[in-house]
Amino acid sequence: MTFVMAGNDRGHYCRQIFFGKIKKNKEPGSQDFPAVDGSRCWGIRVYRKECLEMAKKVVEIENLVKRYKELIALDHLNLAIEEGEVFGLLGPNGSGKTTAINCILALLHFDKGSVKVFGEEMQPDSYGSKRQIGVVLQNVAVFEELTVQENIDYFCGLYVQEKQVRKQYVEEAIEFSGLEDFRKFYPKKLSGGLLRRLNIACGIAHKPKLIIMDEPTVAVDPQSRNRILEGIQKLNRDGATIIYTSHYMEEVEQICSRIAILDKGRCVASGTKEELKSMIKMGEKIHMEAEGLAPYQIAEIKELRHVYQVDYRDGMLEIRCSGGKHNLVHILEYFGSREIGFGRVYSELPTLNDVFLEITGKDLRDHAEVK
Amino acid sequence: MFFRLYRYGLIRSSRDRMMIFWNLIFPVILGSLFHVAFGNYTDKEVLFHQVPVAYVQEEGADGNFALLLEALETENGLIQVQKTSQEKAEKLLQEGEAEGIFFQKKTGAGEQSLEGLAGQENSGISLVVAEQGINQTILNSILEQYERTSATFIAIGKEHPEGIQKAAEVLEGEYSYLKEGSLGDAASNSILDYFYSLIAMDCLMGAVMGLQCAVEFKANLSALAARRMAAGVSRFRMLWPDLAAKVTLQFVYIIFSVSYLMFALDVPLGDQWGFLLLTLFSGGVLGVFLGFFIGVCGKMPYQMKEALCVTIMMVSSFFSGLMVSGIQRLIERYVPVFARINPASLITKACCSLNIYDTYGRYLENMGIMLALTAALAAGSFLIVRRERYAGI
Repeated sequence: MTFVMAGNDRGHYCRQIFFGKIKKNKEPGSQDFPAVDGSRCWGIRVYRKECLEMAKKVVEIENLVKRYKELIALDHLNLAIEEGEVFGLLGPNGSGKTTAINCILALLHFDKGSVKVFGEEMQPDSYGSKRQIGVVLQNVAVFEELTVQENIDYFCGLYVQEKQVRKQYVEEAIEFSGLEDFRKFYPKKLSGGLLRRLNIACGIAHKPKLIIMDEPTVAVDPQSRNRILEGIQKLNRDGATIIYTSHYMEEVEQICSRIAILDKGRCVASGTKEELKSMIKMGEKIHMEAEGLAPYQIAEIKELRHVYQVDYRDGMLEIRCSGGKHNLVHILEYFGSREIGFGRVYSELPTLNDVFLEITGKDLRDHAEVK
Repeated sequence: MFFRLYRYGLIRSSRDRMMIFWNLIFPVILGSLFHVAFGNYTDKEVLFHQVPVAYVQEEGADGNFALLLEALETENGLIQVQKTSQEKAEKLLQEGEAEGIFFQKKTGAGEQSLEGLAGQENSGISLVVAEQGINQTILNSILEQYERTSATFIAIGKEHPEGIQKAAEVLEGEYSYLKEGSLGDAASNSILDYFYSLIAMDCLMGAVMGLQCAVEFKANLSALAARRMAAGVSRFRMLWPDLAAKVTLQFVYIIFSVSYLMFALDVPLGDQWGFLLLTLFSGGVLGVFLGFFIGVCGKMPYQMKEALCVTIMMVSSFFSGLMVSGIQRLIERYVPVFARINPASLITKACCSLNIYDTYGRYLENMGIMLALTAALAAGSFLIVRRERYAGI
């Protein structure tokens, strides 16, 4: 048996892989998973479970239930967030992400379950735990009457008492968020992107161990968004555990090491990106421009190997394949043999939206756009 | 941490332009308008103007009435008499230079003596006016008084002529059974009540500051409050400096407004500086805690709480006499419980009693109720926000 270390060792040391007989089961993270070198890995599920228990859990949510009268906002939610990871909470609007965050921060009553942060039950007066948490809320939360520097100093001062240390932290936060030229500006004079950066700076200035970010890039220009995402990755490299909520799957895919997908207050799937994508049937999605396809031709395409779903709309053919290799080749061979003309062709791997769609039957993106 | 957060509280509040306008500039503007409206309210003599009247006397008419008019003009300064012909008198009346015309006809020959009056049944004097008003009422009162007195002497002359002399002595002597006096340095002045109410309203303007403090403290009212409540600091360690800053700034604004009233507009608010400052400070604290209590109570959205705050402020000020003089006395008479707990009335009465009374019983009573109200509002607020979690944010 050979042991291969995969991934960086910050929070990923549990990925010890050995070559042996694999045990397939239906639980997340337990299916066939390609190793770093491309060959099939064995026994990953067993080791991952042990490693999860060894890793320090920063946040533990057990059986959390929160109701707003008749609406169930959180429905027996279970989450465990390890130290050092960037944990993504992905879900459409109304799925319970912000409610979960507010319960973690002990701002909201909940009806059932427990929330532990750094091993302690979270209460409104759990100041020891709260001192290690940095919060970046969805709505910008700064004082309109204070300048950029004053705002950061104020919030940093709630955690850091020593003047010189605080001064240094404030400078670093200003530099981190790229607000050096805007120190004396008031929030109302800042653009949306700069305001979001200020919002983040106020939440991370005191160098917390756990940073909770609730949709920090809403209504932000692409440049600022990229900067924010890069900053988050840097914070993680510096040792912070980050809980990142969003309904933008691209962001979550880019920065999160582990993701939980929420829908209607429940965690419908969780794991790494690869684990989540391997849960679904779809292995590849092929798009083709083809005019005038007859129904029998579409039926024939559906009969091709590994093809399990075909959609044809407005001259665009969308073919979902369940894994396997050379799917595109087979489809092109079919078109060639039938002498059917086609235009643009491209293939894409499954996205988190596809994961959400297959698990819930709904489109993650449509939910986001509706709101 | 306290002083750092206190300093930031002062900075934030002092940069809030809306707060500066409503708590500082608006009372100054209102005080100036009061001053313009009421003018020289301390000068009693200026308040009353002599009533101009024309007097037309037929030749040979009784001269007693003319003597009366002369006395009223020279000794009392009540009227200004212009003896003239009928045509001129009518012209003066038409042009508004006279408020009325006394016409005296010749009713009968007789000496200008008390005995001579005995034979006369009718004074023969009439009053002609162009309109109804207070001056015309004064002239009418003079005529009525004269005719009544004349009739009295005529009756005495007929039935008890020996008592005429005694009656004349009684008429000459003025006996007043009421004497106005002040218990303090200043006399009661109903116009000053408006300024006391203005000061009370200024104190209660602190409620808006208190409400703002609550909004920045309740996580279900603002994202800023949610961030602060998630911080690793006790709620009260964040709250005390904020409230202290609001109270300090409100006190400064009140002092500025009152100083403007006293030194720029010469409103006589007394010279008991220490007690006055104590009253203003207590009023400011009461106002801030009133607003804070409204802010932390209930689940109403912020806009509704703001409306409630302003409503309570203005209603309280109204019933303390800000807009209608004398309403305080009506409330004291018919709804005494409300008069005892109305914050604006308490402040008004405390300021007023410093000026009027030479003892401090009334003052201490009002201050005691104010402090009790403040303590109740503070205790209620803290009990509500202590360890608070929300059903929804």
